Amino acid sequence: MIHDERESQLSAMFDGELPATECELLSRRIDRDENLRGRWSRYALIGAAMRSEPVATARSGFARRVSAALRGGETRMGASRGPRGMSRIMLNTAVSASLVVAVAGLSITLLRYTAAGGGSGPSSATAPGVQAAAVVPMRSTGDVRDGALLASSMVAGAATASAATAASGASVANGAAAGSGAAARRGSNGEPVSYVTPASVNHAATALRTELADFIVAHSQYSTPLMRRNLLSALISSEDAVDIAAPGAAVTASQSGSAAGALHATIAASASSR
Amino acid sequence: MSATADRLTANNVNNGSGSALTGMPMVADASDLSLVRRVQRGERGAYDLLVLKYQHKVVKLVMRYLRNPADAEDVAQEAFVKAYRALPQFRGDSAFYTWLYRIAINTAKNALAARERNPVSYELDVHGSDDSTDMVGRLKDPETPEGLALTEEIRDTVNHAIGELPEDLRTAIVLRELEGMSYEEIAASMDCPVGTVRSRIFRAREAIDRRLREVFDGGLGRTEELV
Repeated sequence: MIHDERESQLSAMFDGELPATECELLSRRIDRDENLRGRWSRYALIGAAMRSEPVATARSGFARRVSAALRGGETRMGASRGPRGMSRIMLNTAVSASLVVAVAGLSITLLRYTAAGGGSGPSSATAPGVQAAAVVPMRSTGDVRDGALLASSMVAGAATASAATAASGASVANGAAAGSGAAARRGSNGEPVSYVTPASVNHAATALRTELADFIVAHSQYSTPLMRRNLLSALISSEDAVDIAAPGAAVTASQSGSAAGALHATIAASASSR
Repeated sequence: MSATADRLTANNVNNGSGSALTGMPMVADASDLSLVRRVQRGERGAYDLLVLKYQHKVVKLVMRYLRNPADAEDVAQEAFVKAYRALPQFRGDSAFYTWLYRIAINTAKNALAARERNPVSYELDVHGSDDSTDMVGRLKDPETPEGLALTEEIRDTVNHAIGELPEDLRTAIVLRELEGMSYEEIAASMDCPVGTVRSRIFRAREAIDRRLREVFDGGLGRTEELV
């Protein structure tokens, strides 16, 4: 009786007249039950014979050959996926690494050019920004899209830095003024803090121009009190950073009569007088 | 066929419930969709049931383009493999067989074009006739005596078994298998509940299947796929 009910379900399922939930269960049972599977095959044969379809295909093991072809195809696909997939990953890695190196090289070149005074005028203040963008941690792996995304973010970072330096340039500039010493420092694990080679030219001139511009902005009639306070805080904190990075640097600067040291003193005096 | 079945056949043709393209009904097939979903989840065994169910139809379809049954089987096999690989993209917007039908037709046309580029001694059916009598003739030519005997034996057995069925069972199975009507349509036509139609079709199949198993158990055409 149970068998009859199951076979009645099988007949209905063959005709697409069984509810989907019952189809799911019954089809799993067919996978395990050779009797049901044989009936399924013969139901197809009966219909084919009634419609004068070529019934000899069943005898020739058609379904088994399709199954074998699928197994073979899967094996071939699995086998070919290995080396081909690996080479694709390596290609993506190489392309992304090349892209990152190219963008970083461009950034460094621009930085050096700017620091050397090649980019006179307002654009010279972009150098620290570019440097800040260039030290974005680089990934040596990933696909091309990641590389392109990283490159675009770096370029965007440079552009943003160029526009924003007037407001926040003091700290960046002082970071650059901390300069070669900070760049050459290494972390506790021996890794360099930055992979960007610092400019070999006199960066004090860049810092001077930047700080002068900042000073003008900070003390002009257009600057807001809040902005002045932020700028002065940044200047003071950057002085502390310079002191930490190179003890006695401020003293040395003032003693040596460097322009940056003199400017710091001027700014400090101006701030205290206000 | 009974007078009732004749009348119902005429009605079915007139109301166009069957697909003129495939000769099959365009009803949503829950069992096919269920099997397809299982395949899409990575259960390849479910695809075997779809192949068993549609192999005869697809081979017949391909034979509209390729006369040689052996070539038609090869192309049909290729169509099933292609369909399996494309199955992840099948969304169920159409019936599975409609989708498979298109793949089979395209595969057959491509095979035909390839053979025209590299002509060998193939017989090509450029007319694409779907005449069943002609199909029987095509099948016989290149078949081995054993295959021919099997084909004839199966057809004779099935036809004989159908002839012995009570009229209500015979009408139900004929409307289902030859006319492609749904259980609901058959129930409306035979003026009985859908459950009765389901029972009649099942009992008709069981009766025919019993006769078929006797033939197979007798030795002719015994294969693993059939028993």
